[in-house]
Amino acid sequence: MGYEYMYGAYSVAWVVIFAYMLILGKRHTKLKKEIEFLKELDK
Amino acid sequence: MNLFRTALFLAKKDLYSELKTKQILTTQIIFAGLVIVVFSFAFDPANNTTRAVIPGVIWVIIVFAGILGLNRSFISEQRNDTMQGLLVAPMEAASIYLGKFLANFTMMLVVEIVSIPFLFLLFDFKFFGSLPYFLLVVFLGSFGFIAIGTFLAALAANSKSSEMLLPLLLFPITTPILIGVVQATKIILMNMEKISSAIAWIQLVTAYDLIFFVVCFLLIDYVLEV
Amino acid sequence: MSINLEREKAVLPGANSSEAKPNSIASILFGGTVVSMLVALYFIFIYAAEEKTMGAAQKIFYFHVSSAWLAFMAFFVTFVFSILFLIKRKRIFDTYAYVSAEIGIVFTIIVLTTGPIWAKSSWNTWWVWEPRLITTLILFFIYIAYIMIRQMDGVWDKKARLAAVFGIIGFADVPIVFFAIRWWQTKFHPIVFGNGPSQQGGGIDGSMLTALFVSLAAFTILYSYLLHKGVTFENMKLRVERYKEKLRADMEQ
Repeated sequence: MGYEYMYGAYSVAWVVIFAYMLILGKRHTKLKKEIEFLKELDK
Repeated sequence: MNLFRTALFLAKKDLYSELKTKQILTTQIIFAGLVIVVFSFAFDPANNTTRAVIPGVIWVIIVFAGILGLNRSFISEQRNDTMQGLLVAPMEAASIYLGKFLANFTMMLVVEIVSIPFLFLLFDFKFFGSLPYFLLVVFLGSFGFIAIGTFLAALAANSKSSEMLLPLLLFPITTPILIGVVQATKIILMNMEKISSAIAWIQLVTAYDLIFFVVCFLLIDYVLEV
Repeated sequence: MSINLEREKAVLPGANSSEAKPNSIASILFGGTVVSMLVALYFIFIYAAEEKTMGAAQKIFYFHVSSAWLAFMAFFVTFVFSILFLIKRKRIFDTYAYVSAEIGIVFTIIVLTTGPIWAKSSWNTWWVWEPRLITTLILFFIYIAYIMIRQMDGVWDKKARLAAVFGIIGFADVPIVFFAIRWWQTKFHPIVFGNGPSQQGGGIDGSMLTALFVSLAAFTILYSYLLHKGVTFENMKLRVERYKEKLRADMEQ
């Protein structure tokens, strides 16, 4: 009884955690691109 | 005490300049009046059950009108960069806070004296409760609200979008006051038998007022740094 | 921006070989997170006994409470680093405070989403005026406001200083909010359902307690991992900014 709620809640929790990690990843790649660009300038 | 004297000076300056133009006060009062009219459309004044919302409405208009006044209290100092003048003057940051607080509090009281009777009039609210307790609650609630509001206005004034930032900062922090004060007002206006609970709520609000007034006093130096 | 540009010998972050050390800490924490989460899930779903009255939905409790605990801890860390920043004025303190607040908001979102789901399953209502849930909601708004202060236009030290002040006030407000709401609750809305989602009820089963502690540990490791990742990222961003400033200064000569 109440299995749907349990699955729902746990999926929501994991979605939030993974969404945050995705956002962090996006910021990381943006920064990496900027570093690459600056390295190019440096040459 | 020098702190208090300089604060009074600042408060008088603010109040005098406000008295000349009466701009902020009129804006606040008109806004409060408009909110009351809107509420009279939202809740049917003829209906008896509307009486239950009156305590909440009182505090909604106080909060909204108060925010208007709080905003301008530090924005006006940015016009001719008079904020620098205040900081350089031989007064402590705490005096500036105290002075602004006194000015804002006085204006808040004036707005309340005008708008709350107007609310009672429009909603045909028969005042059954006890007047002294009601005045006490309004005084204490406004005190706490303006205390933390002046502090956060000083903080928010540093931003370009200070009008948007101030409500964002103010509303979460003042929730204890709002809860306490609305519950106390409800008891005082509607059923006086539960007066002991109302007193308990008043104690909560007083504790909040004291704690945050002291905290703001201590932290204002960091906010008003050059 | 440094006036003495010779001292600011800007080394591009990517070229720096000292990246190896922080990377190992990051991978340890990441590995730890994955392992502890898997262990916690085992404990939650297999080891812990199933509650009789609420059934499977009660299992939500483990993640819900762990998230709440971590959210509060994250905000406490913000509080501590805000005070440290106001006293010492070192940028690293402000970075820790900011990253911790952001992580705290993420955990708060988990609490505020799992809470109503549990409420719906137990009492068939999406929202319940329960002290802890409302306090969490207010907490959420307080730290959103904190982030908004950080997004202000201006120099970093002004933003950091103001945010630190607000971090102190916000955290000081939380206990008062909690007591005010709990008082309001018990006096005027007697809780019909004996124990709210966050309370354990009469006696808690031993296996449930173990599972709770395991998930708490897993979440703590997750928090440390996210904190470390966030702070190293912010530091890298800072060095890139400083390098760009140096470039700009070079160009203007």
